[in-house]
Amino acid sequence: MTDQWTVVVGIKQVPDEDDVTIDPDTGTLNRSGADSILNRPDRNALEAALEIKDQVDANVIAVTMGPPQATPVLEEAIAMGCDDAVLVTDRAFAGSDTWPTSLVLASAADYLDADVVLCGEETTDSSTGQVPPGIAAHNGWAQLTYAEELEPKPDEDQIVAKRDVEGGHEYVAADLPVVIAFAYGENEPRPAGLHRKIYAETEFEPEQVTAEELPIDTDRVGLAASPTQVGGMETVDPVEREQERLESPAELLETLAEEGVV
Amino acid sequence: MPDIDIDDHSDVWVFIEEHAGEVAPVSWELLSEAKGLAEELDEDLVALAIGEDLDDVAEEAVERGADKVLVADDPVFEPYRADPYGEQFRYLVEEREPDVVLIGGTHTGRDFAGRVAVPAYAGLTADCTELGIDEDGHLEARRPAFGGNVLATIKCERHRPQMATIRPGVFATADPDPDHEGEIEEVEVIVEEADTISEVVERNVGDTADITDADRVVAAGRGVEGNVEPVAELAEALDAELAASRAAVDEGWIDGARQVGQTGKNVRPDLYVAVGISGAIQHIEGMNDSDIVVAINNDPNAPIFEHADYGIVGDLFEICPELVEQLEDVDDPAEVLA
Repeated sequence: MTDQWTVVVGIKQVPDEDDVTIDPDTGTLNRSGADSILNRPDRNALEAALEIKDQVDANVIAVTMGPPQATPVLEEAIAMGCDDAVLVTDRAFAGSDTWPTSLVLASAADYLDADVVLCGEETTDSSTGQVPPGIAAHNGWAQLTYAEELEPKPDEDQIVAKRDVEGGHEYVAADLPVVIAFAYGENEPRPAGLHRKIYAETEFEPEQVTAEELPIDTDRVGLAASPTQVGGMETVDPVEREQERLESPAELLETLAEEGVV
Repeated sequence: MPDIDIDDHSDVWVFIEEHAGEVAPVSWELLSEAKGLAEELDEDLVALAIGEDLDDVAEEAVERGADKVLVADDPVFEPYRADPYGEQFRYLVEEREPDVVLIGGTHTGRDFAGRVAVPAYAGLTADCTELGIDEDGHLEARRPAFGGNVLATIKCERHRPQMATIRPGVFATADPDPDHEGEIEEVEVIVEEADTISEVVERNVGDTADITDADRVVAAGRGVEGNVEPVAELAEALDAELAASRAAVDEGWIDGARQVGQTGKNVRPDLYVAVGISGAIQHIEGMNDSDIVVAINNDPNAPIFEHADYGIVGDLFEICPELVEQLEDVDDPAEVLA
């Protein structure tokens, strides 16, 4: 292992969930009006990666898998302070579920010689949280999910994470290379600096990497290689509620007593 | 893609999650639900327990309906770590070829499920809230998508096992039947401490509150602005479990074990009181099975009021203490609350 750590941050461009609407007549999703934004939990992952860089000698590389239109999220990562950014792009990746997606990102982590892979807890568009453990599983690496604090231990080639577990916390030391899913909202992502912003938007061009370069057998990615398929979507009928406004706590308790719950 | 003969795979597996002898309630919820699936598929219901000193856990799994319990009992599994758990589970899946594998959508379950699904090339669906079997015998795993506005059905027709993590609190637990018979098998442990790549340095676990089967729940949201006290006192006065929205958990005001909603738990109490909760769809999803919903919020336009039976627009820091006071005026709250 080299002295300088390579920290790869997996980020994703997603539709702004606030803009995704449902057509009440057809029950289909309308994503066309939605802006494309950086998946919010990924900001916490970027911040965690940059904090590692603040503590140990590290090269931080943001990576996204997606079409060239996803480049703005890489520019945001550069503006925040990442050293480099890579677009992993190939038509063969289209339609991938979490199995091939984590294969592609695992291969990219390998290609970039990652010591640490950082991801957000989950994406706001599919919210599976399965990709970070998938990356670790594909490469046989250690994993730390629901991480809230990180302590790099360069002398031991380890990272210690404070993990959120049911009813408390635990501290787990994992050997490098390690995949970390950083818990949403657990740090304060730094704002982009003005000079970095200008550099990211005017001069920076991400490296583009294809399946062939990683290398990945294209039979193992895409819709056809995905074990799961979406079999259908139905809108959820709202539960009917009384929606009655009450004026005072006394009136509330009286009503609840009539309902038999108090 | 591997050549998988679907017909070689049979049995419905349920992972029994336990930490230091304490079983996560979602495990028993899944065992109850999976019994119906196994009957529909005409397959055995198999419980899988990984940990240390699991005799009691295995026996309870039989009483709760398992036809067979596979037990991987070894100190290497205590406390939980992703790599030994995942490795042992993967070995058993590859050796015994189950048809369906269900795992609780807890932090632990979501942590290691992918470590099994990836090497086994299994389909894995996250955070399901409904399960069914289609006419061809495939698992239909349904999960909320796009912030809970739609329910997506996920299938895995060409791969096995069909794996899913399921949100805690979605399914009811059946009572154990001491007369139910099942086989308990100790399986070979293939993991060795020397091969592990992680180490638990310290573990501080206290509050493992189970909000999922509470009769009354009082939940705090962002509106409490760091002062949970009035809401906690209201919960106590109502003899209710304290819960929280994601915002309140993310701020560190309330423990994650008490989170209601898409990334937390589902609750189904007789009474649900949402205090200072705006009512994001992800939260509504977790409490929509409640019988009566009360909302207290100072914003008259908060979406929570559309999802509540009774609402009071006002300052929670005034309303909660007033409610507590009036509840305390009752001679015997337990009697009134019964």
